[in-house]
Amino acid sequence: MPESRLEQVATPTHRIEAGPPLVEVRGVKKYFPLQSGFLASLFNRGEQPAVRAVDGVDFEIRRGEVFGLAGESGSGKSTVGRLVLNLLEPTEGKVFFDGMDLSQLSPDEMRRLRSRMQIIFQDPLASLNPRMTIGQAIAHPLEIHEPNLSEGQRRKRVLEMLEAVGMNPPTNYADKYPHQISGGQRQRIVIARALVTRPELIVADEPIAMADVSVRSALLDLMMRLKDEFDLTYLFITHDLATAKYVCDRIAIMYLGRIVEVGPLKSVYGSPAHPYTQALLDAVPVPDPKHRRTQPMPRGEIPSPIDPPSGCRFHPRCPIAQMGLCDVEDPQLMQVPESDNHLAACLLRAGPRAMGQQTPPS
Amino acid sequence: MATSSDILYSVRNLTVEYETRHGVVKGVDNVSLDIRRGEILGLVGESGSGKSTLGKAMMRLRNGSARITSGELWFDGQNLMELSERQMRDLRGSRLGMVFQDPMTSLNPVQRIVEHLTETMLTHEPEWTEEEARARAEELVERLGIRRERVKDYPHQMSGGMRQRVMIALALALNCDLVIADEPTTSLDVIVEAKFLDLLKELRDEFNLTILLITHNIGVVAEVADRVAVMYAAKLVEIGDVNQVFEKPLHPYTEGLLKSVPNIELDSGALYKMEGSPPDLSSPPPGCRFHPRCPYMMEEVCPIYDPPFAPPEGASEDTRVACWLHHPHPQKVAIGA
Amino acid sequence: MNLPVQDQETAVPQWEEELARVGFVRRLLRARKWYGADWWFVAISSVMVLAFIVVALFPQWFAPYGPHEQVGPRFLAPGETPDLPLLIVRADSGLSTLEDLATGPDDEVSRPPIAVLRGAPTAGALREQAALLDDELQESDSGLRLRPNIRRYDTVEEVLQAVQEGEAFAAVLSSVQYEEAAGQFPDLDAPSDISGGVASAGDFLLGTNQIGQDVYSRLIWGTRVALIIGFSASLVALFLGVPLGLVAGYAGGKIDRVMTVFMDSLYAFPGLILAIAITAVLGPSILNVIIAIAVLYIPTYYRIVRGQTLSVKQEVYVEAARSIGAKPSTILRRYIYPNVIPSVSIIFSVNIADAIITGAGLSFLGLGLPPSTADWGIDIARGQEFIQTAWWLVTFPGLAIMLVVLAFTMLGEGLTEILNPKLRDR
Repeated sequence: MPESRLEQVATPTHRIEAGPPLVEVRGVKKYFPLQSGFLASLFNRGEQPAVRAVDGVDFEIRRGEVFGLAGESGSGKSTVGRLVLNLLEPTEGKVFFDGMDLSQLSPDEMRRLRSRMQIIFQDPLASLNPRMTIGQAIAHPLEIHEPNLSEGQRRKRVLEMLEAVGMNPPTNYADKYPHQISGGQRQRIVIARALVTRPELIVADEPIAMADVSVRSALLDLMMRLKDEFDLTYLFITHDLATAKYVCDRIAIMYLGRIVEVGPLKSVYGSPAHPYTQALLDAVPVPDPKHRRTQPMPRGEIPSPIDPPSGCRFHPRCPIAQMGLCDVEDPQLMQVPESDNHLAACLLRAGPRAMGQQTPPS
Repeated sequence: MATSSDILYSVRNLTVEYETRHGVVKGVDNVSLDIRRGEILGLVGESGSGKSTLGKAMMRLRNGSARITSGELWFDGQNLMELSERQMRDLRGSRLGMVFQDPMTSLNPVQRIVEHLTETMLTHEPEWTEEEARARAEELVERLGIRRERVKDYPHQMSGGMRQRVMIALALALNCDLVIADEPTTSLDVIVEAKFLDLLKELRDEFNLTILLITHNIGVVAEVADRVAVMYAAKLVEIGDVNQVFEKPLHPYTEGLLKSVPNIELDSGALYKMEGSPPDLSSPPPGCRFHPRCPYMMEEVCPIYDPPFAPPEGASEDTRVACWLHHPHPQKVAIGA
Repeated sequence: MNLPVQDQETAVPQWEEELARVGFVRRLLRARKWYGADWWFVAISSVMVLAFIVVALFPQWFAPYGPHEQVGPRFLAPGETPDLPLLIVRADSGLSTLEDLATGPDDEVSRPPIAVLRGAPTAGALREQAALLDDELQESDSGLRLRPNIRRYDTVEEVLQAVQEGEAFAAVLSSVQYEEAAGQFPDLDAPSDISGGVASAGDFLLGTNQIGQDVYSRLIWGTRVALIIGFSASLVALFLGVPLGLVAGYAGGKIDRVMTVFMDSLYAFPGLILAIAITAVLGPSILNVIIAIAVLYIPTYYRIVRGQTLSVKQEVYVEAARSIGAKPSTILRRYIYPNVIPSVSIIFSVNIADAIITGAGLSFLGLGLPPSTADWGIDIARGQEFIQTAWWLVTFPGLAIMLVVLAFTMLGEGLTEILNPKLRDR
C-alpha cells in the first residue's frame, strides 16, 4: 500500500481555564419512584421502592474542559447529563451553573439560561422534529433567545452554522427534512442547532454511538474543532471508553448511580485504582489481535438500581473485597496515593488505608 | 492451505436481492467465502454492508422480501439450495445454529427457558425422553455459567448477557457444527461482552465449534477471530488471517476502519478520519463501490471497473482483496501506476 | 493520483431526492410513480368525494325534478315505462292536457264531462289527478276550477264514441286500451297522459315511490342533507375535541384525569341512543341533528389526539425543544400539534362517513329531521314496508349511503398512506 493519506482527527487543545468552575454538582440524587401494586404497598411500610438512578454524585466541570462521564447501562450517566441541564429536577442536592443555583431560578430565568447550555442527544433522528425543516430547526433557538434578529439575519446565522458543521453548500440542506439526509449528517445538524446560540456548555450524550462506524471519527473531529472555534466546555457522556480516551481531559467512572473513580484521563486509564475501573478498562475490546486481557472479570452482573448492595456497591463482584469492611462501609471518593487530583471510592485502594496510615479508630 | 475436508461451509457467488419501493436492491452481491472447521471467522461490516443479510441467507431463513437469486451454499458437502424447506428445518437447530442480536425478541416470552431448550431438543431427537432432555438442558446451562435452577426462569427474568448464553445453549443442545452469531454482543455491556467472548473461545476449543461471528466491532473480531472477512456495500472487500489483516490491511476501507476506530490503549497512536459515508445500495457508485471515499483512488480505473475479489499478486490463496491497488489492470500501466 | 473526494455523503435514495425538490401539489400529482396502488386509491376516492360534493352543492343540475314533486305514477319500477292513463280528445278540439279542461265562472259548462271505462282503475287515477289539479288551481287564484263530471261506459268503443260525438269533452283510458281501438276513431288523438306530460321510460330512472316522487331526484337532493350533516358534525367535533385532547395530553395531572373520565363516559354511551336522546330533547331540526352527532364524536377526536400527544410528548425532539428553552405554548404549537395532526386527518374523513350513517340512522327512526326533508334515511324508513314489492325504494338510498361512506373512508385511509412519512416507512 502506498503511504497512508488519511487525515488525523483533531485533538482537543486541553486549554482549561483557571477560575471558578462552570458547573458544580453537589450531593445530587435522582430517584424515580416505582408504582407498587396495592398489596405490595401494604407491606412496604412507608418506604416506596424507587429506581435510584443517581445516588449521591459530586463533581465540577471547569471552563474549557472536556469532562468525561463513563459507565455501563444503569450507571446513571445519562440522568446526570439531564440533571446538569435541569431537564430533570434532582430529588436531592444542587446543581450550579456559573455560580447560579438552578433550583432557585424562575421558569423564565431558566429558559433564558438555556441559551448558554445545550445538549446533543444520542439519536439524531429522534431529536429532530420530523415536521420542521433543518433550517427551521436550527433557527428555532435563535427565535427564542435572540428575537430581535430579522429573518434575513437569522437565515444568515443558520447558513453559517451549516457551513461550520461541514454541510456544504448550506443552501442545499436548509430546506430539507431530517429523514431526507443520512444519519451522520443528522448528527451534524443536531450539533449545529446546539451551537447556534453560542452556548458555553455542551452536554454530549453518546453523540456518536448511533452513527456508522466509518463516520464516527469524522464526527469526533468536528466536535473537537468546534470546541476550539467556539470556546466550548463539554460534558462527554459515553459507554465507549476507547473513544473517551481521545477527547477527555478528565474522566469520571460511574457505577450504580455513583462516581467510583475520577481524575485526569492519563491517571485513570494509566493507573486505575478502583477494581471496577480496572476491569472495565480491560474488558474493552482492542483492535489488535495480539492484545490479551489481563484482569479477571468481576463475577455476576450489575445489580438492580432499586435495591443496591450494602456498604460498597461493588463488593459482591469485587475480586479484592474484604468481608467485614467492604460490605459494611460505604466509601466516599478519596485520594488515590501518588496520583494528583485522582480520586476513587475504594476503601482499600484510596484514602487513609491505601496511604499506609493506621485505620482510624472506629 | 485449507483442504476441502477442512471446509465446513462454502458460500459460492451468492447474490441476495430484495424489493424496495424503487426497485430491486442487491443486499449481497456475488459473495464467495469458505468457513473452515473449528475456526472463528469474523465478518466485519457497517450497517447496510449486507453482513446480516448474508448470515440469514446462509441459514436460508426468511428475511422480508429477500431472495437468493444466484449462487450456491455448500454445507459439509451438501448443496443447501437443493434442500426442501423441511430438510432445512431439520438442519437448523441440529447442525446449523444462529444467535441473534437481541435475545429478548428471539426467545418466546411466555415459555420458560427449560421448555424452550427441551422442546428444541425433542424436535430433533424424538427418541429422547423428557427427563433426558431436561437433564441435558440443565447441564448445558451450567456449563455456560448460569446456575442450574435458573433454567425455570422466563426470558424477562434474565439479564441480556444470560439470554445470549441461553441462545448459545440452544445451539449447543444438539451439537451444532456451525453457529452463526449476528451481532451477539452489540446490546451487551462491555464487561458482559468480555465474558461472553471468553465463553465463545472456550466453546470453540472444547466442542470444536465453528463460529461465523458477524459484527461491526473490529475490536471484538481482533479478540476472538482466527480469520477476518470485511464487507462493504454488499460485497466482500478483504479476507485473510486476523494478524495479517490488522497489521497490513490491503484494502483502503480496512485501513480506514483500523485507523479510525478508537483504541483504548494509551500508546495506540493517533485517530484518523474517513471521508464520506456508506453508499445507498439502491444506487451504488459505479466501478469500485468504495472509490468516492478512497484516498488512493485512481481516476482512470477505480470509478469505472469493478475490481475482482482475488488474492493479490504473489500472495497465497488464503488472502483475497478487491482493490485495484493489488491487481493488475491495463489502465494502470497506461497511467504509470 | 489524489483527487478531491466527491461528496458521497448522501446515503439517501435518488428518488427521495427528486421527491423533495418538487412542491406539495406536484408531489401529489406526480406521486403515482412512487406510491403505486395507494395513489390510485386516493385518486379514485377523491374523485368520488368531489362528485358527491358537487352534487350536494348543485342538485338542481342533476335532478330532473324537485324533491317533493309528485310527478309520476306510484310505484313505478326503475326502467319501467310509466303506463299513465291517456287523455283522449278530438283532434280538432285544441285541448292537450287535463288542465285545459278547467273551467272558469264564465264558462257554459262548469263541470266538463269526461268518459271512462266502467270499473277500470283509470277512473280513480283521473279523479285523483283532477283533485290535485283543482287544488293547485284554487291556490293559484286564477279563478279556474277543474271538477269533471265522470261518465262511465261499458266498452272502450263506447267511451271513444262519446268523445267523437261530443257527448264527452275528453276520455281517459289506459294506453293499452286506447291502442286497440284507436284505429276505428281517426278523429281522435291522445296528446298527453293525464299528468300533463308525455311519459317515457327515461323520465323516472330509478322508479317512483308511493306518492309518485322520482326516486332518483330525491337521491340527488338527499345528498345535500347527508353531506351537510356529515361535514358539519365532524367539523364541530374536531374543533372541540382536538384542542381538548392536546391540552389534556400535555398538561396531564388532574385536568387530564377529569376530562378523560368525562370523555370516556360519553364515549361509552351507545352512539345512536345518545343521539336519539339529544334530538328528542332538542327537537327536530337539522341543526340539532348536527349537534347531537358532533357530541357523539368529540370523544373520538379527544382520545386520539390525547393519545398521540402523550406519545409525542415522550419523544426526544420534544425534550430537545425544552432544552433549547422553548415555552410550553411553543412546544404545543410547533412540536406536538404538527406531529399529532396527521392522525386526525384520517379520522376526519372516516368520521364524515360515520356521521352520515348515524344521521341516516336517526332520520330512519323518524328523529331529528323534519319529515318533509328529502333525506335517504327518511326514504328508507318510508320504503321499508314495500320492500318486497317495490324493492327500489329502499335499495337505492341504501346504495347511496354505502357509496358515500365508501368514498370518504377510502379517501381518509389513502391519504394517510401518502401524507404521513412515519407510517410510510415500512
